[in-house]
Amino acid sequence: MSAIDILVIATFTVPEQIQPNPQAMLWLLPLTAAIAVVYKATKLPKITAGVFLKEAAILFGSIMVFIIITALALYALAWLISV
Amino acid sequence: MARLSKKDRTQFLLIVGILSWLLPGAGYFVLEEKKRAIIIFITISLTLCAGLYIGSIGVIDLVGPAPLYVKGAQVVNPPIVLVLSHHVAGGAYPVYGWPNEIGQIYTMVSGLLNLLCIVNAVSLAHLRRTEPAGG
Repeated sequence: MSAIDILVIATFTVPEQIQPNPQAMLWLLPLTAAIAVVYKATKLPKITAGVFLKEAAILFGSIMVFIIITALALYALAWLISV
Repeated sequence: MARLSKKDRTQFLLIVGILSWLLPGAGYFVLEEKKRAIIIFITISLTLCAGLYIGSIGVIDLVGPAPLYVKGAQVVNPPIVLVLSHHVAGGAYPVYGWPNEIGQIYTMVSGLLNLLCIVNAVSLAHLRRTEPAGG
Protein backbone atom coordinates (compact mmCIF):
# COMPACT_ATOMS: atom_id res chain seq x y z
CA MET A 1 0.00 0.00 0.00
CA SER A 2 1.49 3.35 -1.05
CA ALA A 3 1.84 6.44 1.13
CA ILE A 4 -0.95 8.16 -0.85
CA ASP A 5 -3.32 5.23 -0.21
CA ILE A 6 -2.56 5.39 3.51
CA LEU A 7 -3.07 9.16 3.52
CA VAL A 8 -6.45 8.86 1.78
CA ILE A 9 -7.62 6.16 4.20
CA ALA A 10 -6.36 8.20 7.16
CA THR A 11 -8.58 11.15 6.19
CA PHE A 12 -11.60 8.90 6.77
CA THR A 13 -10.50 7.84 10.26
CA VAL A 14 -10.27 11.30 11.83
CA PRO A 15 -13.31 13.62 11.97
CA GLU A 16 -13.19 17.13 10.54
CA GLN A 17 -13.14 20.10 12.91
CA ILE A 18 -16.56 21.75 12.65
CA GLN A 19 -17.42 24.51 15.10
CA PRO A 20 -21.05 24.99 16.19
CA ASN A 21 -21.51 28.34 14.46
CA PRO A 22 -23.92 29.68 11.79
CA GLN A 23 -21.42 28.86 9.01
CA ALA A 24 -21.84 25.16 9.83
CA MET A 25 -25.34 25.43 8.39
CA LEU A 26 -23.74 25.67 4.95
CA TRP A 27 -23.18 21.89 5.16
CA LEU A 28 -26.84 21.52 4.21
CA LEU A 29 -26.16 22.87 0.70
CA PRO A 30 -24.39 19.80 -0.75
CA LEU A 31 -26.90 17.55 0.98
CA THR A 32 -29.81 19.45 -0.56
CA ALA A 33 -28.14 19.27 -3.97
CA ALA A 34 -27.69 15.49 -3.62
CA ILE A 35 -31.36 15.05 -2.70
CA ALA A 36 -32.51 17.20 -5.63
CA VAL A 37 -30.26 15.38 -8.13
CA VAL A 38 -31.18 11.84 -7.04
CA TYR A 39 -34.88 12.63 -6.77
CA LYS A 40 -34.99 14.12 -10.26
CA ALA A 41 -32.88 11.24 -11.63
CA THR A 42 -35.53 8.80 -10.42
CA LYS A 43 -38.56 10.85 -11.50
CA LEU A 44 -37.77 12.25 -14.95
CA PRO A 45 -39.13 9.97 -17.70
CA LYS A 46 -36.18 10.72 -20.00
CA ILE A 47 -32.84 12.18 -18.92
CA THR A 48 -31.38 14.94 -21.08
CA ALA A 49 -28.70 17.29 -19.74
CA GLY A 50 -30.65 20.54 -20.16
CA VAL A 51 -33.97 19.38 -18.73
CA PHE A 52 -32.31 17.43 -15.93
CA LEU A 53 -30.14 20.34 -14.77
CA LYS A 54 -33.08 22.75 -14.94
CA GLU A 55 -35.41 20.47 -12.97
CA ALA A 56 -32.75 19.68 -10.35
CA ALA A 57 -31.93 23.39 -9.97
CA ILE A 58 -35.62 24.26 -9.52
CA LEU A 59 -36.04 21.56 -6.86
CA PHE A 60 -32.83 22.66 -5.11
CA GLY A 61 -34.07 26.26 -5.08
CA SER A 62 -37.52 25.22 -3.82
CA ILE A 63 -36.04 23.27 -0.92
CA MET A 64 -33.75 26.17 0.00
CA VAL A 65 -36.60 28.71 -0.11
CA PHE A 66 -38.74 26.46 2.09
CA ILE A 67 -35.88 26.00 4.58
CA ILE A 68 -35.26 29.76 4.73
CA ILE A 69 -38.97 30.53 5.23
CA THR A 70 -39.16 27.90 7.99
CA ALA A 71 -36.02 29.28 9.65
CA LEU A 72 -37.40 32.85 9.55
CA ALA A 73 -40.74 31.72 10.98
CA LEU A 74 -39.03 29.83 13.82
CA TYR A 75 -36.75 32.81 14.48
CA ALA A 76 -39.76 35.14 14.64
CA LEU A 77 -41.56 32.73 16.97
CA ALA A 78 -38.53 32.49 19.25
CA TRP A 79 -38.23 36.30 19.25
CA LEU A 80 -41.93 36.70 20.15
CA ILE A 81 -41.67 34.21 23.00
CA SER A 82 -38.51 35.77 24.43
CA VAL A 83 -39.74 39.42 24.26
CA MET B 1 -38.58 -7.11 -23.26
CA ALA B 2 -39.28 -10.81 -23.84
CA ARG B 3 -42.19 -12.35 -21.93
CA LEU B 4 -40.99 -14.15 -18.81
CA SER B 5 -42.70 -16.73 -16.62
CA LYS B 6 -44.01 -15.54 -13.26
CA LYS B 7 -41.11 -17.19 -11.43
CA ASP B 8 -38.56 -15.63 -13.78
CA ARG B 9 -40.19 -12.20 -13.37
CA THR B 10 -39.96 -12.44 -9.60
CA GLN B 11 -36.33 -13.47 -9.87
CA PHE B 12 -35.63 -10.58 -12.23
CA LEU B 13 -37.20 -8.07 -9.83
CA LEU B 14 -35.20 -9.59 -6.98
CA ILE B 15 -31.97 -9.34 -8.98
CA VAL B 16 -32.68 -5.68 -9.84
CA GLY B 17 -33.34 -4.92 -6.15
CA ILE B 18 -30.24 -6.72 -4.90
CA LEU B 19 -28.00 -5.14 -7.54
CA SER B 20 -29.38 -1.70 -6.64
CA TRP B 21 -28.47 -2.32 -3.03
CA LEU B 22 -25.01 -3.72 -3.78
CA LEU B 23 -24.04 -0.79 -6.01
CA PRO B 24 -26.12 2.41 -6.27
CA GLY B 25 -27.55 2.71 -9.77
CA ALA B 26 -26.73 -0.89 -10.80
CA GLY B 27 -30.42 -1.76 -11.01
CA TYR B 28 -30.95 1.01 -13.56
CA PHE B 29 -27.90 -0.19 -15.47
CA VAL B 30 -29.52 -3.62 -15.86
CA LEU B 31 -32.64 -1.84 -17.14
CA GLU B 32 -30.46 -0.05 -19.73
CA GLU B 33 -30.94 3.35 -18.11
CA LYS B 34 -27.25 4.18 -18.20
CA LYS B 35 -27.44 7.95 -17.70
CA ARG B 36 -29.72 7.50 -14.70
CA ALA B 37 -27.41 4.81 -13.30
CA ILE B 38 -24.30 6.98 -13.60
CA ILE B 39 -25.95 10.05 -12.02
CA ILE B 40 -27.28 8.00 -9.10
CA PHE B 41 -24.01 6.11 -8.56
CA ILE B 42 -21.93 9.30 -8.46
CA THR B 43 -24.34 11.28 -6.27
CA ILE B 44 -25.02 8.58 -3.66
CA SER B 45 -21.36 7.54 -3.48
CA LEU B 46 -20.25 11.16 -3.04
CA THR B 47 -22.87 11.76 -0.32
CA LEU B 48 -21.76 8.65 1.58
CA CYS B 49 -18.08 9.52 1.19
CA ALA B 50 -18.76 13.10 2.32
CA GLY B 51 -20.43 11.79 5.48
CA LEU B 52 -17.51 9.46 6.19
CA TYR B 53 -15.02 12.25 5.48
CA ILE B 54 -16.76 14.80 7.74
CA GLY B 55 -17.41 12.51 10.70
CA SER B 56 -14.91 9.69 9.99
CA ILE B 57 -15.92 6.04 9.69
CA GLY B 58 -16.86 6.25 13.37
CA VAL B 59 -20.28 7.67 12.38
CA ILE B 60 -21.29 4.22 11.13
CA ASP B 61 -22.81 2.84 14.27
CA LEU B 62 -24.88 -0.27 13.56
CA VAL B 63 -24.07 -2.07 16.80
CA GLY B 64 -23.47 0.85 19.17
CA PRO B 65 -25.82 3.08 21.15
CA ALA B 66 -27.08 5.16 18.18
CA PRO B 67 -30.87 5.53 17.86
CA LEU B 68 -32.71 2.92 15.80
CA TYR B 69 -33.65 5.39 13.06
CA VAL B 70 -29.95 6.15 12.48
CA LYS B 71 -29.10 2.45 12.19
CA GLY B 72 -32.12 1.81 9.98
CA ALA B 73 -31.19 4.59 7.56
CA GLN B 74 -27.49 3.68 7.49
CA VAL B 75 -28.02 -0.04 6.91
CA VAL B 76 -29.69 0.56 3.50
CA ASN B 77 -26.44 2.03 2.21
CA PRO B 78 -24.34 -0.28 0.00
CA PRO B 79 -22.84 -3.24 1.93
CA ILE B 80 -19.50 -1.46 2.37
CA VAL B 81 -21.22 0.11 5.39
CA LEU B 82 -21.65 -3.33 6.97
CA VAL B 83 -17.91 -3.95 6.55
CA LEU B 84 -17.10 -0.57 8.08
CA SER B 85 -19.51 -1.24 10.93
CA HIS B 86 -17.61 -4.43 11.73
CA HIS B 87 -14.33 -2.49 11.84
CA VAL B 88 -15.58 0.40 14.00
CA ALA B 89 -17.46 -1.79 16.50
CA GLY B 90 -16.25 -1.28 20.06
CA GLY B 91 -15.60 2.45 19.72
CA ALA B 92 -12.33 2.18 17.79
CA TYR B 93 -12.99 5.52 16.04
CA PRO B 94 -14.79 7.80 18.50
CA VAL B 95 -16.48 10.92 17.11
CA TYR B 96 -18.54 13.49 19.01
CA GLY B 97 -20.35 16.78 18.50
CA TRP B 98 -21.14 18.40 15.18
CA PRO B 99 -18.87 16.21 13.03
CA ASN B 100 -20.81 13.22 14.40
CA GLU B 101 -24.20 14.89 13.78
CA ILE B 102 -23.38 16.05 10.25
CA GLY B 103 -21.62 12.80 9.32
CA GLN B 104 -24.60 10.78 10.54
CA ILE B 105 -27.04 12.98 8.61
CA TYR B 106 -25.03 12.58 5.39
CA THR B 107 -24.73 8.79 5.75
CA MET B 108 -28.40 8.49 6.68
CA VAL B 109 -29.51 10.57 3.69
CA SER B 110 -27.29 8.55 1.32
CA GLY B 111 -28.88 5.38 2.70
CA LEU B 112 -32.41 6.72 2.28
CA LEU B 113 -31.64 7.93 -1.25
CA ASN B 114 -30.29 4.46 -2.00
CA LEU B 115 -33.54 2.97 -0.67
CA LEU B 116 -35.52 5.32 -2.94
CA CYS B 117 -33.46 4.16 -5.92
CA ILE B 118 -33.89 0.46 -5.01
CA VAL B 119 -37.67 0.83 -4.81
CA ASN B 120 -37.81 2.94 -7.98
CA ALA B 121 -35.63 0.52 -9.99
CA VAL B 122 -37.76 -2.47 -8.93
CA SER B 123 -40.92 -0.50 -9.74
CA LEU B 124 -39.53 0.43 -13.18
CA ALA B 125 -38.63 -3.22 -13.86
CA HIS B 126 -42.14 -4.28 -12.80
CA LEU B 127 -43.81 -1.68 -15.03
CA ARG B 128 -41.68 -2.61 -18.03
CA ARG B 129 -42.72 -6.25 -17.88
CA THR B 130 -46.41 -5.32 -17.68
CA GLU B 131 -46.35 -2.74 -20.49
CA PRO B 132 -45.61 -3.29 -24.17
CA ALA B 133 -42.08 -2.46 -25.35
CA GLY B 134 -41.60 1.29 -25.62
CA GLY B 135 -44.76 1.92 -23.56
